[in-house]
Amino acid sequence: MLSRVSRSAVCRTTVTARRASVAGARRGLVQPSAADRASVVDLPATYQDESHFTPRADMLGFKLESSAKEQTRPIYLDMQATTPVDPRVLDAMLPYLTDQYGNPHSRTHAYGWEAEKAVEDARKHVADLIGADAKDIIFTSGATETNNMAIKGVAHFHQEKKKHIITTQTEHKCVLDSCRKLGEEGFDITYLPVQTNGVVSLDALEAAIRPDTSLVSIMTVNNETGVIQPMKEIGALLRKHRGVYFHSDAAQAVGKIPVDVNDMNVDLLSISGHKIYGPKGIGAAYVRRRPRVRLEPIISGGGQERGLRSGTLATHLVVGIGEAARIAKMEMDRDHKRISQLSERLIQSINSQVEHVVRNGDADGYPGCVNLSFSYVEGESLLMALKDIALSSGSACTSASLEPSYVLRALGAAEDMAHSSLRFGIGRFTTEKEIDFVVQHIVRTVQKLRDMSPLWEMVQEGIDINSIDWSQH
Amino acid sequence: MVTPPSRRSILSLYSTMLRTSRSFSSYNFREYFLRRTRETFRTLQNETDGTKIQSMYSDAVAELAVLRRSAAVNKMYGGWRLAVETSKP
Repeated sequence: MLSRVSRSAVCRTTVTARRASVAGARRGLVQPSAADRASVVDLPATYQDESHFTPRADMLGFKLESSAKEQTRPIYLDMQATTPVDPRVLDAMLPYLTDQYGNPHSRTHAYGWEAEKAVEDARKHVADLIGADAKDIIFTSGATETNNMAIKGVAHFHQEKKKHIITTQTEHKCVLDSCRKLGEEGFDITYLPVQTNGVVSLDALEAAIRPDTSLVSIMTVNNETGVIQPMKEIGALLRKHRGVYFHSDAAQAVGKIPVDVNDMNVDLLSISGHKIYGPKGIGAAYVRRRPRVRLEPIISGGGQERGLRSGTLATHLVVGIGEAARIAKMEMDRDHKRISQLSERLIQSINSQVEHVVRNGDADGYPGCVNLSFSYVEGESLLMALKDIALSSGSACTSASLEPSYVLRALGAAEDMAHSSLRFGIGRFTTEKEIDFVVQHIVRTVQKLRDMSPLWEMVQEGIDINSIDWSQH
Repeated sequence: MVTPPSRRSILSLYSTMLRTSRSFSSYNFREYFLRRTRETFRTLQNETDGTKIQSMYSDAVAELAVLRRSAAVNKMYGGWRLAVETSKP
């Protein structure tokens, strides 16, 4: 019936219906609508698709946000938070998620043997990447667990005689929090300050060592600034002091810069799977056997992994970290060369187009982590404006809070500079085109935000912001 | 003594690998494997040692199998395109 009525007639009826609804605006809340208003009108012949939009006569020509724009994913430049799983790693893992589901600790059948073989191969790959022996590698759930295991384990094992632990102020949260917990238990913790370039001073470290120091924990590459600590020198220094164990959180370093446990003289080292293009939920600990490092395990149970980390190994994840380590070793030179080029390109083009940009941390740090502070712009608002780019203003663990980064504060950055920082994480899969896209957007957004900022206006007029006493009135 | 692979078989492997790399639906993986394949074959082209060519060739054959499977999985779970792909230069 309806289709036989001319289109204009349908239009007229809808218009009257709309008017009627306006007229009946005074009706009560619970008054039911008439059934005829719910009728379905055929789609017009000009109908194209959901996204097609034609303004109605009563819209007075105001433009509506067009929904025709294709939905896209933002560019990922946060490789310090996590890295994508390399397709080759996933390919190595899939057999252990489908057909080869054996428990690697089963000794009585072929399912167990094939899984055990895969685990031992992976252990070998991880060990090769850091110049260790396969037997020194313990698989854990990630670098956080490894750090906890190393710090609490060594401290607890030696707590009868030794009560002192040294770490730095720029460590990852899980190291600092493990130390804080030990501090509550009665341990003495020294949080070493760092120099303005983020590097720990060897003299300060040596001065902090006491006869009852059991552990020194210093990260190899900082997760927020990319600063590389002089591990070799620190290792040599600590070797002179007998009975002081050296732990390093190398989650951001392994697979990206050459790491050798014998070269660095470390006793314990933390590795994370998802920072080297492997899966999340897996990490590894290097625990030196000669001379033996003794620690108290956190998890007790069946005595797997030399009794240091009981529990059935996740074969597929172990295979994943193993394959990721193998690829990282194979590709390290190529990746590093390329990441250096991209990082150079990013810094050069931002510096040439925006003024008042400060690079936080040592310029000789890991090139894949570039931490820049844009003066007179709030980092969080910059992030909000950059919806096509996935960036972070600091560590992912603290990105929920609006507190300025404690790492940048430890480097001596002023509060406002710590607030205006952005961390660019460049990785294996980043392209030149992405870098150019990011630079273009950053430059535009920083300019826009500064144009809105009264502070920026004052700076342009030549007023020194720091000379203003804000609480005057 | 192993006979090094013929020029034709190397070229055919090269084009197959490029085609497979191109079939990744994720922009970053696609670009990476294209770049990597080109680099690998450029070094292969400049190599004169027969045994080395042979070993590089067999490595590439093994990798092609991995790439094929990975590209198939990647295509199955492909999502939206990246912002950089749709933007005009």
